[in-house]
Amino acid sequence: MTASKALRTEEFLVNMGPHHPSTHGVCRFLLTMDGEVVIKAVPYIGYLHRALEKICENRTYPQCLPVLDRFEYCTSMSCEYAFCLAVEKLAGIQAPERAEYLRIIMVELNRIASHLIWFGTTALDLGAITPFLYGFREREDILDLFEMTCGQRLTYNYIRIGGVSRDIPSQFIPKAKEFIDKFPSKIDDYVKLLNENPIWVVRNRNVGILPPELALSYGVSGPVLRGSGVKFDLRKDDPYSIYDRFEFDIPTGKYGDCYDRYLVRMAEMLQSTRIVKQALEQLPEGDIKAKVSPQFKPPKGEVYSRIENSRGEMGIYIQSPGDSKKPLRVKMRGGSYNHLQVMPEIVKGGKIADLVAVMASMDIIMPEVDR
Amino acid sequence: MKKLINGIKNLVIGLLTTGKHLGRHAITIQYPTQKWEMPERSRGIVVLLSDKETGELNCTTCLLCEKACPSSAIKIVYEKDEKGKRHLKDFIVDHGLCCFCGLCEEACNFSAIKLATKYEFSTYTKDDLLWHTNKLQEVGRDVPYEKVERKKPEAKPAAPQPTTATPSKPIAEKQSAKTGEAISPAEPEKNPELGEGAKPQEDK
Repeated sequence: MTASKALRTEEFLVNMGPHHPSTHGVCRFLLTMDGEVVIKAVPYIGYLHRALEKICENRTYPQCLPVLDRFEYCTSMSCEYAFCLAVEKLAGIQAPERAEYLRIIMVELNRIASHLIWFGTTALDLGAITPFLYGFREREDILDLFEMTCGQRLTYNYIRIGGVSRDIPSQFIPKAKEFIDKFPSKIDDYVKLLNENPIWVVRNRNVGILPPELALSYGVSGPVLRGSGVKFDLRKDDPYSIYDRFEFDIPTGKYGDCYDRYLVRMAEMLQSTRIVKQALEQLPEGDIKAKVSPQFKPPKGEVYSRIENSRGEMGIYIQSPGDSKKPLRVKMRGGSYNHLQVMPEIVKGGKIADLVAVMASMDIIMPEVDR
Repeated sequence: MKKLINGIKNLVIGLLTTGKHLGRHAITIQYPTQKWEMPERSRGIVVLLSDKETGELNCTTCLLCEKACPSSAIKIVYEKDEKGKRHLKDFIVDHGLCCFCGLCEEACNFSAIKLATKYEFSTYTKDDLLWHTNKLQEVGRDVPYEKVERKKPEAKPAAPQPTTATPSKPIAEKQSAKTGEAISPAEPEKNPELGEGAKPQEDK
C-alpha cells in the first residue's frame, strides 16, 4: 500500500524558454511532461514581434528594403529579393540581365551562409562545438564577399527594385571563385566529422520523424519538406527569374527524420555552389539597374511573389492603392512559421532532449515567425 | 564491440581534423591594438563631406537625404532668404536612429553625405549620438571621396522637391525662429506613422 503511494506519478508543466539557448531567438514552449517524456508541447510566440508589416505600410517602396533586411536576418538577400520581385511584377519593371545574375549569385551565397549557421548551431545544440567554429569560419568568407560588394555584413540593402545597388568590385569574381573551389572540400570535412559520429547518429536518426502527408498538410516547405521525401523546390517547380538556366539537383531525404534533414541541407550547399559557379561563368556585361524613381507609384493592384529561401517558401504579398508611394498592405510569409506549428505534432512522445534536436533540425528562426 | 570501435574511429577522425589547424596562426585579431581594415564600400558612420579646396560643405540643402531616410534619422534645419534659396542652419544626424542603409548617400546628387568606413563611435550617453553639422563635418574631413558631377536634369522630374518643400518648410522656419534648433521632428505628418519608439533625446 505504501509502496504504490510512493510511486504515484503525475504530469507536470515545464516552461522551456523564452531564453533557452536552443530556441535560437526567443520562443517559449510550454511542455507537459511525464517524467522525461513530452506529452504535449505548446509554442508561445511573439517575443520578437516588431510590426515589420505595419512599418512597411508607412514607408515608400525603396525605404521598405532596409526593413525587409530585418525580416529574416540570416538570409537578408532573399527577403529583399522576394520583395523586389513582387514590386517588379506589380509595376512591370524588368531588371537588366546582369542584375539578375548578380542577384542569383548573392542569394545562393546567402543560402550557403545561412545553412552554415544552421550547421554550426545545430551541432552546438547537440553537443559538438567544433563544427560551430568551422561553419562560422566559412561563413566569414561569404560575408567578406558581401561586405566588399555592398558594404554591410548582415543587413545588406543590396538588391533593389529594378536591379542591384552597385556593381561587384573587380576582386569579387576571383575571390568568389576561390571560395567556390575550396568549399566542397570543406563540406567533406564537415561530413567526415559528423556523418558517422555515434553521438550525432543516435541523436538524429529516427528522431522527430515528419511524414510527408503531415508536412504537406501543415504547409511545410524547403529543406524540411524535402527531407521528408517530397521533391518540391520553387526554383524548379515554379522557376522565377533565370533559375531555369542553371543545372542543379534537388536533394531529398527518405525517412523524414532529423538526420535526413541534415543530409539534405549539406547536399543543398553543394548544389548552391554549383549554381554560383555557373552564374559566375555566364555573368554578362551591362547595366545593373533599371531606372526606377525613388518616389515611384506602382499601379493599383495586388501581387504575391514567392521564392525558395533557405528555410522554405518566402512570399511577399503587396497591395498597392495605385495613387500612393507607399504600399497599402504588406504581408510576409516565412517558412519558419509553419515549421514551428508542425513541431508539437512530431515531438509528442519523445524525450525532452529530442525536442532540442527537432527544433535545431527545423532551422527555425524566430524573427521570421514573429515578424 | 562494433560500436566501441566505431566510436574510437570517429574520435580519431575528429582529432585529426582539429589537428590540421594546430600549426597555423589564429584567424582572429587582437582588436584594440590591431584593427581590421574595412573595405572601401563599408557603411559606417554618417559624415558630411566638404569641398577639398574651399573647405566648405558640399551640402546644398536640397533635403533629398532627409526624404530618403527610412528611419527619420536626418533632420535639416534651414532658413530661406528673400529669393527663396535655402541656407543650411543645422544638419542633425541621430546615430541612434540610423540603420546604416546608405539610402541618403545614394539620394545625394552633390557628394555631400557619405557613410564613411569608420565604426568607433560609442558614447556614454544617448544624447552624444546626436551629431550636429560641426561634428559631422570634422569627422568627414579626411574621408576620401570622388565628387560626382551634378546629374543631368533628366533625373530631375523624379526628384520630390516640390512635395518636400511644402510640408516641411513652414515648420522648420517656425522652429528656427523660436529656438534656433530643431526640437521636434520637421515633418508632423511623418511622425505618428513611424510606429518606432519615440526619440528620447528630442523630447527633452
